[in-house]
Amino acid sequence: MTDFFINWVANIPGFAAPFALAALGLIISEKSGVLTLGAEGYMLVGALTGVGAVLLLGGYPIAALLIAAGVTGLFSIIFAVMSVTLRVNQVIASLAIIFLAQGLTSLVATRAGWTNVPIAGLGRLNVPGLSDLPVVGPVLFQQDIVCYLTVPIFVGVVYVLNRTMIGLKLRAVGDGPDAADAAGVSINLVRYGAVMVGAALVGLAGAYLSVGIAKLWVDGMSGGRGLIAIALVIFARWHPWRALAGAILFGGIEALIPRVAAIGLQVPQYFVMMTPYIATLAVMVWASTRGRERAAFAAPRALGQPHTREERH
Amino acid sequence: MNIGMERKEPSASQPPRRGVRIPGLLLEVRQHAPVWFQTIVLLCGVSVGLGLSFLILMAAGVPADGLVLEFKNIFSNTTNISALLTQLAPLLIVGLSAAVAFRVRFWNIGIEGQMILGSIAATAIAINDVGPEQWRLPLMMIVAAIGGMAWIIVPALLRIRFGVNEIISTLLLNYVAVNLLLHLLYGAWRDPQSNFPNSEQYGPAERLAQLGWESLTYALPLALLLTAFCWWLFSVSRFGFYTRVVNSNPKMAGAMGIQVVAVTLGAALLSGALAGIAGFTISAGVEYRLTQSFFLGYGFSGILIAFLARNNMIGAILVSLLVATFFIASQSLQVFYQVPGSIVQLIQAVIVISVAGFEFFNRFRVRLAR
Repeated sequence: MTDFFINWVANIPGFAAPFALAALGLIISEKSGVLTLGAEGYMLVGALTGVGAVLLLGGYPIAALLIAAGVTGLFSIIFAVMSVTLRVNQVIASLAIIFLAQGLTSLVATRAGWTNVPIAGLGRLNVPGLSDLPVVGPVLFQQDIVCYLTVPIFVGVVYVLNRTMIGLKLRAVGDGPDAADAAGVSINLVRYGAVMVGAALVGLAGAYLSVGIAKLWVDGMSGGRGLIAIALVIFARWHPWRALAGAILFGGIEALIPRVAAIGLQVPQYFVMMTPYIATLAVMVWASTRGRERAAFAAPRALGQPHTREERH
Repeated sequence: MNIGMERKEPSASQPPRRGVRIPGLLLEVRQHAPVWFQTIVLLCGVSVGLGLSFLILMAAGVPADGLVLEFKNIFSNTTNISALLTQLAPLLIVGLSAAVAFRVRFWNIGIEGQMILGSIAATAIAINDVGPEQWRLPLMMIVAAIGGMAWIIVPALLRIRFGVNEIISTLLLNYVAVNLLLHLLYGAWRDPQSNFPNSEQYGPAERLAQLGWESLTYALPLALLLTAFCWWLFSVSRFGFYTRVVNSNPKMAGAMGIQVVAVTLGAALLSGALAGIAGFTISAGVEYRLTQSFFLGYGFSGILIAFLARNNMIGAILVSLLVATFFIASQSLQVFYQVPGSIVQLIQAVIVISVAGFEFFNRFRVRLAR
């Protein structure tokens, strides 16, 4: 039983990292007031770009992850133009992005012959001296580079959001765009930046799914994880550390799925595969039944509202 | 409020005209755009979207003349036209489903899940031979509607009671529905004859009857009847008036004594019922069995149809026809040029982006700054 437990816990970081990075990316772009429901699409773009880059470069998974993040950031310009410049309804724009990404990734993958091609993905990086420790070793020191870097990335983003001028402007644009506008902050510039940086992080999460975990590309491989990340952001009330905790919770659930049959539980396979989605729904209900702490009160006040200076009151 | 930001320029201090400044251009808010202008903008959006889609397909290696030929072929003979009209029926019904929900600002993105539940319910009636044969089909349709409603009532109540975002909850339930479908098809309902993961074939009494012209079935008249019903409900009946008030201002609707919760719930349930019926028309009118992927792509198509038709029930017929041509064309493109089936999604997404982008001109007048 302890073997089972250690094995399970040691797998959680790998499953939690994509949720955590995607949720963090979403927090960045939503803090600027742009409702970003297209995470599923960004993840697909990141995942395919990651695999494509590894195949084209002939290796170098870490470079591929960075390229995937960059390409996803550029891809999100389409969303930024729609939601920020053209002031399209952000739900419609997000849905269009999801399906554009689904169609485009599937088309590119088929044409380039990248579907179902196994790649030499990201390897495990054992920390010398520490990885042999009992229990703690396999859980904390036998992971890959993305898992190690997730917490520093969180520290960096939280620092920028809460302790720098850029972060202050970003939050001001999301909470009170009229005031920020009057104070001379360029709303469009901040929102473009937030959308692109956020998308790059979600793309990194997607690339980690393909390059780090699955080590191949299949159509639609994000499988609702972008959606779960969106729910995590609401659950975390746009708070990065709570989002990390939520990601670990969902990583734990996902890591458990392949192990349910192994411990001899007779639950039908497809019911087990429903659990992340039902758990997400449960978490969303929980998040919206907490009185004054409800998610609705914690959202950036201008979330989902395009800013038009001449329409302000 | 002092938010501690250094002032750069008093950008909004001098309002010569009410407008947003982009270097060289001035944007003015339109109070009102006439219908003819909106129509032109919509047509421009669709045309540009189609043009971009053609370019993407050509970049993917489909030759231009082949592409034109595929679209011409669709209208070339009666067999192909009947195939187009057969495809139109479920698309029109999912379009209505989306439009009905959007009319009360309920974002039903879970149409595919509701279609699955509808078809599962109808199939349960079909393979267990419930009821007398002459009542089998109507019964299947009713339980399909109930199945769709069962799948939407949870997100609807969660949104009304707790304010849970229905975009996410309906999407999540799609994944649950797919897993439920696979559980049945790989388990109890696996075809005993072929051992393939789809249900056994429906009997003759469980299939929608042919109309007598080519391969057209009663699915199309059913879809048109539902369109007429939705038009009546939303344009003529008192319920439709309530939905318009709820849509424009829920708070005022409540203050006027309209049961906002009941109106929203009613429209959401109707949306789910329509999605369930759409699933039923595919299972009982086209595939004659429950399959793994009959629903794919219909959710987004429904949203696209409602969006382009401006939630107008009659307009949905025209847009569905357009989307049906994409479906049929993509089927032959898949065969002849090895492009993936999700090309339909791609074309639709490009058109949505283009049309949504063009709507900018409905809301703003662009002028050269002097």
